[in-house]
Amino acid sequence: MSAGPDEDLDCAAALLDLAGMTPVRLAKLLDGFGPRLAWRSVTAGTHPADRGRKFARAARGVRPADAARRYESAGIRLLLPDRAGYPAALAGDPGAPAVLCADGDTSVLEARPAVAVVGTRSATPYGVKVAAGLGRELAAAGVVVVSGLALGIDAAAHAGALAAGSTGAPPLAVVGTGLDVVYPQENRLLWERVAAVGAVLSEAPLGTAPRRRVFPARNRIIAALSDVVVVVECHGRGGSLYTAEAAARRSIPVCAVPGSVLSPASRGTNGLLVDGCTPVRDVSDVLVAVALARGDAPVRAAGTAAGPPPVGGDAALGLDRVGRLVWEAVEDTPTTVETVLLRTNLSLAALTEAVADLVDLGLLVSGAGWWSRA
Amino acid sequence: MIASIPSAVLQGVDGCPVVVEVHVANGLPGFTVVGLPDAAVRESRDRVRASFASSGLPWPRRRITVNLAPSAIPKGGAGLDLPIALGVLVASGVVAPEAVAGYAFVGELGLDGSLRGVPGALALADALRSHRLVVAVEDGPEASLGGGTCLTAPNLVEVVARCTGRRPWPGPPPATTGPQGTDDGSGAAGDLAEVRGHLLARRALEVAATGGHHLLMVGPPGAGKTLLANRLPGLLPDLDDATARVATRIRSAAGIGGATTSLLRRPPFRAPHHGLSAVAMIGGGTGALRPGEVSLAHGGTLFLDELGEFPTTVLDALRQPLEDGVVRVSRSHGSSTCPARFLLVAAMNPCPCGEGGVPGGCRCPPAARARYGRRLSGPLLDRFDITLRIDRPADTELLDRDPGESTAVVAARVAEARARAGARGVPTNAELDGPALDQATSLDDRATACLEAHLRSGKLSARGLLRVRRLARTVADLDGAGDTVESRHVSEALFLRGGRDLLFGEETR
Repeated sequence: MSAGPDEDLDCAAALLDLAGMTPVRLAKLLDGFGPRLAWRSVTAGTHPADRGRKFARAARGVRPADAARRYESAGIRLLLPDRAGYPAALAGDPGAPAVLCADGDTSVLEARPAVAVVGTRSATPYGVKVAAGLGRELAAAGVVVVSGLALGIDAAAHAGALAAGSTGAPPLAVVGTGLDVVYPQENRLLWERVAAVGAVLSEAPLGTAPRRRVFPARNRIIAALSDVVVVVECHGRGGSLYTAEAAARRSIPVCAVPGSVLSPASRGTNGLLVDGCTPVRDVSDVLVAVALARGDAPVRAAGTAAGPPPVGGDAALGLDRVGRLVWEAVEDTPTTVETVLLRTNLSLAALTEAVADLVDLGLLVSGAGWWSRA
Repeated sequence: MIASIPSAVLQGVDGCPVVVEVHVANGLPGFTVVGLPDAAVRESRDRVRASFASSGLPWPRRRITVNLAPSAIPKGGAGLDLPIALGVLVASGVVAPEAVAGYAFVGELGLDGSLRGVPGALALADALRSHRLVVAVEDGPEASLGGGTCLTAPNLVEVVARCTGRRPWPGPPPATTGPQGTDDGSGAAGDLAEVRGHLLARRALEVAATGGHHLLMVGPPGAGKTLLANRLPGLLPDLDDATARVATRIRSAAGIGGATTSLLRRPPFRAPHHGLSAVAMIGGGTGALRPGEVSLAHGGTLFLDELGEFPTTVLDALRQPLEDGVVRVSRSHGSSTCPARFLLVAAMNPCPCGEGGVPGGCRCPPAARARYGRRLSGPLLDRFDITLRIDRPADTELLDRDPGESTAVVAARVAEARARAGARGVPTNAELDGPALDQATSLDDRATACLEAHLRSGKLSARGLLRVRRLARTVADLDGAGDTVESRHVSEALFLRGGRDLLFGEETR
């Protein structure tokens, strides 16, 4: 059998690509064998984990070097346990993936500390705002932001981390699909930017389509790679709770951002708080949790002191009477037009004119039937 | 011998004069009807013959040929029974031709010789205004609304007796002039005072009713969208004479609402179910072209509840009537134009689960949300001048607050503001076209700057600009402002116009 310069990698790629392969089956095939030996016994039809000789049939005619070349030409690195490049955080982990595909700068995998910022896909503006703020400030404080590149909170956290600029820590994404299958499509640009600045990981072979089961499995990798897991917003049932559970099983601290008790999107996070997770008010709460988890001195948040800058008081200065009346009637959270009408007692014409001015000044943002402070 | 009897058939909502020619000649006894009759007209042979027997009139045992002229247009309906019967009587020499000269006849015959009403009596009477029209007793009040001479009789024997002068025609039937309700089974009723809260939606209804601006309400189930829409007709003023005549004709031609005794004065309210077909919406059908919901709503309101559930073909069929105020239906055997100028009010949920308006309440995948919003084509959405989010009112508003203004109070304001539009020569501002709008609407500097900023940022299209200016004109009219439209009116118009992003945007509360 001819083999490329690195036969182990070739064989791992070939095994990963076999039809019907799943991360669990792959781990069983490789366990105690190593890629080269596993490949040989699979092709010979003697592998004890390949009872039905299913993989033996699938492997017929496959040349490991070709499989490896596919990954190489796509710019994907394959990482194997016990070899250079495989993240130390996953070594010895009970659920460690047998093969990891990596796109981007793999040195990010060893950068510490790392914090997972995760949450629901159907996030509220509140959740998106908090996730983006945490992402930006954590990255600025030199913390690698780990997330899943899903819609909603995940996307906001990474967008925030990227907004910290070149001085911030690079982001790390773990996705459920193959690295050539961007899902969801809305996040394509974000995905490409994360791969360019940081790294994107997956345990799925190239071409793996988004399936329901791949995402909870991906969440355990997110948890295992992080020093602390922060859940920003999460419904009563949801993937983020898997991440929290996977973290708890590994004794990785889980923090949660408190939300309104009336908001369904905060039901899961509020439940986590009741269960004893650390509440997160701002980035400093996360940094303290990181320091406690790692046993070193707290990292200071870069730039401003913890907490959002006090916009309210200063910004409202210099407004006319109507402007101030409207400003005071609109809350930080989305406030319905109806509510503002009731509070201000203005005519719709006067109110909309004042709001248009405030939006121009950058003090208010408008949404679908609501306004909120910027 | 040949007889020619004037009559009329319905073409869409218009009457079309028809001459019924009857030829009785020697030959094998038989009865043929030519001139594109439909099934109802062909069956009239049997009705006419039976009614002759019941009435004791002699049936000619000769060859009878009936031609319906002009023979190129298809004719339908049973209203030709009476003229055919008269034609047979004249052609067979029972009645002298001079006895029926100047008369026209429309009516269905029963087997016992009694005379029955037909749909669209007003339209038929309009088409036969130069004749003395004989109709069934039940059609009398409606046919006399046409203004021509209208005579009635209970059965075929009486028609013959009165035409030949053996008995006098009774006096003209009493034409009632009182208003007729909008009781068309649509359930539009209720006073605005019963609506708690919903300050914003009340305002939107008022603006929509004043300017004739189409309104789209988006909100979760139970927010009160249907409740609000049902109260819109109450805000509209009575129909003017011309519109009332047209609306009455359409209603009568469609055969709904029972016997018509007076002009329809209150604006109609139509709320078709979303299962309706495109033909039911715009009109048509095999045989006689029947007016659709858009025409039945002429002069009033067309309310489409659960807009997202209507088939897209039905919704896109609305685009042309919304633009032109008439609907043209063409079929292989002819085409018809029906008036269809209505106020479109629609309601739908923001997303499939309906909870998109509650903070974080929506569990729909973003793709499903986007798909739901896309059911509304851009051109149709663009025709809604007012798009509005409706939320469930807070508990405090339902329990504590005073009832709002009543329909009468708001309707008075609407009438006052409409009078300002009337002074510009249009019934509502929505019908102001470019030059008239330029003349009627001078924007002040701030308003101009505001609109320019929106145009430059791409948030407003050229058509959108026109619609926002009309809307701002209406807001200014309600405000009692003069010719100058101020910046606050433009702000409110821009806010009310909303847009797709504001309705179905990914970012929900």
